[in-house]
Amino acid sequence: MPDRIFAAVLLFLSLIYAFYAFFVIKAPFQYDPLGPEAWPRLLSVIMILCSGALLLRPLVQNFDVDGATWKRLAIVLALLAGYAVLFEPLGFIISTVLFATVTSRLLGAVWKRAALFGLGVGVGGYLLCAGLLDLNLPAGPLPRL
Amino acid sequence: MMEVLHGLGTGFAVALSPLNLLLVLAGCFAGTLIGALPGIGPINGVAILLPIAYGLGFPPESALILLAGIYYGAEYGGRISSILLNVPGDAGAVMTTLDGNPMARNGQAGKALSLSAVASFVGGTIAVVLLSLFGPMLARFGVKFQPSDYVALMVFAFACLASLVGSSPLKTLTGALIGLMLATIGVDANTGVQRYSFGIPDLLAGIDFLVIVIGLFGMAELFHLVEQQIRGRLTTVPIDKSFVSWADIARTKWTMLRCSLIGFIIGTLPGTGASVASAVAYGTEKRLAGSTAGTFGTGDIRGLAAPEAANNGSATGAMVPMLTLGIPGSGTTAILLGALLMFNVTPGPLMFEQRPEIAWGLIASMYIGNIALLVLNLPLVGLFARMLTIPQHYLTPLIAILAFIGIYSIVGNPFDLYMIIGLGVFGWILRKLDFSLAPVILGFVLGGLFENNLRRALSISGGDWGILFSTVDSLVLYALAIAVVVIPLWLGRRAARRANAAFDA
Repeated sequence: MPDRIFAAVLLFLSLIYAFYAFFVIKAPFQYDPLGPEAWPRLLSVIMILCSGALLLRPLVQNFDVDGATWKRLAIVLALLAGYAVLFEPLGFIISTVLFATVTSRLLGAVWKRAALFGLGVGVGGYLLCAGLLDLNLPAGPLPRL
Repeated sequence: MMEVLHGLGTGFAVALSPLNLLLVLAGCFAGTLIGALPGIGPINGVAILLPIAYGLGFPPESALILLAGIYYGAEYGGRISSILLNVPGDAGAVMTTLDGNPMARNGQAGKALSLSAVASFVGGTIAVVLLSLFGPMLARFGVKFQPSDYVALMVFAFACLASLVGSSPLKTLTGALIGLMLATIGVDANTGVQRYSFGIPDLLAGIDFLVIVIGLFGMAELFHLVEQQIRGRLTTVPIDKSFVSWADIARTKWTMLRCSLIGFIIGTLPGTGASVASAVAYGTEKRLAGSTAGTFGTGDIRGLAAPEAANNGSATGAMVPMLTLGIPGSGTTAILLGALLMFNVTPGPLMFEQRPEIAWGLIASMYIGNIALLVLNLPLVGLFARMLTIPQHYLTPLIAILAFIGIYSIVGNPFDLYMIIGLGVFGWILRKLDFSLAPVILGFVLGGLFENNLRRALSISGGDWGILFSTVDSLVLYALAIAVVVIPLWLGRRAARRANAAFDA
């Protein structure tokens, strides 16, 4: 079943891809025999055949993820999204301390160790990467190093 | 021969400069550490550290030396978690668990680790010697390749991929197509026409190679770790005082030599890497062992030496097509190839002549790296083994933070942070559905080359498709492509028929 769903989505997307390749993409003028649309057309035809075959003969029958695992994955996904949203406005240090502390706590560390880990990674990571290695990281409201 | 010696001279001059020497050692050390982490293999290690290595602003040869060191260092380190934990870091290390872990449980952990270090060293060194001998030869052959020959070479590469990699040819092909299609996003360089960017400014230049790599490998690995999370610590076998003896090495010397060769040859085939090489090597040794094959799987030293020599041999072998033809031999070398492209260096037959400091510098650094790895691994194995006990709840956020640092410091665009999270989810789903990710990255890296060569070939011929079949080189490559697909099918049928016949009798 999961293979079927995936193949169906893939087929749907490759049909859209094919529609663009056959009807939308056009060069205003060109000298070469093959324009920008030829290669996507070729790919889309093969992809439609492949995803169609997968739809008819799925291989994986069971996705095998239980409720608790789905919940954990969803929480981690939400944390990552939050980290991405806050990364620039709060700067590397604050966002990383928050993200590392909360994530390691949720995945099983005790509060105290999680907080120590978060602080260590956030501050240490900034000093190492922005200070020593001279990489570009957002400083946020804190003063730049 | 003179050319090889001359090239090696140039290479060692590059590789022995203080910065590059430091980077080889740092790469090997970091690679072994990452390889030793349970569940994280060479490809994820290189993917996570690639943007950081790029961001440090080294010249291309130094960055490549560092990344290559991480690559074969991780191939080395992968054996530690296989032997002590019975958890392979990636598919290439699976075979190592078969005899390595039983040895460790029989009280020979120290011996298993030191013997496998020696086998890895032999595999890596033989392969790098072969690379320096055959690399320039293949490059000279590749120089006269025309665009139409490159098209044939790509067809061969994808045929190898479909036939030899992954759970099913259909899924491998689908994966490669996903990569090829992702590569078409962005403005077409020849005509300036937008393709699949839907007016989103962040997509005009296409999806950045780093974003694909970090998303599909680094972030997908993170979701995989969260899914597989095991409460508490894994139990490791403690390292004891046993050590490899000369008698053990003497007993396994032919095994090591044979398997290094097998690994190198399989590694050079486009698309096939350590997992195929170590499986073939293990199978061959077991068959050759004849009446004594019964001890395989219970801690036989030959069964440990074989896959280790082969997977290190293949890691180096995979560099051959990348350096000489610009076609990566494995998923990890596809990432290295993409890294070279980011430095505006086009790997291919001309690299040995035009940028000898990169081609030969890398090769020379691999001689140094292999020795460094052996020296690092024999005494420091206890330190590396400590990595096994890092709890998952610290490892998981660390991967995310490294990925964010890498992407943000290079591209500096918050949009890409969302992209890597989305691609991570996508990569995790692909992995759950038994797609292997190496074809996707190969497709993405090769997509532009494939399309450009096809278009150039047809421009040369004025639209006549016959040009694709006009040279001997291309016909040979198409024949090989058909052979690579047909022979395994035929062998499989024959084995099935034999099995049926035996069943009937």
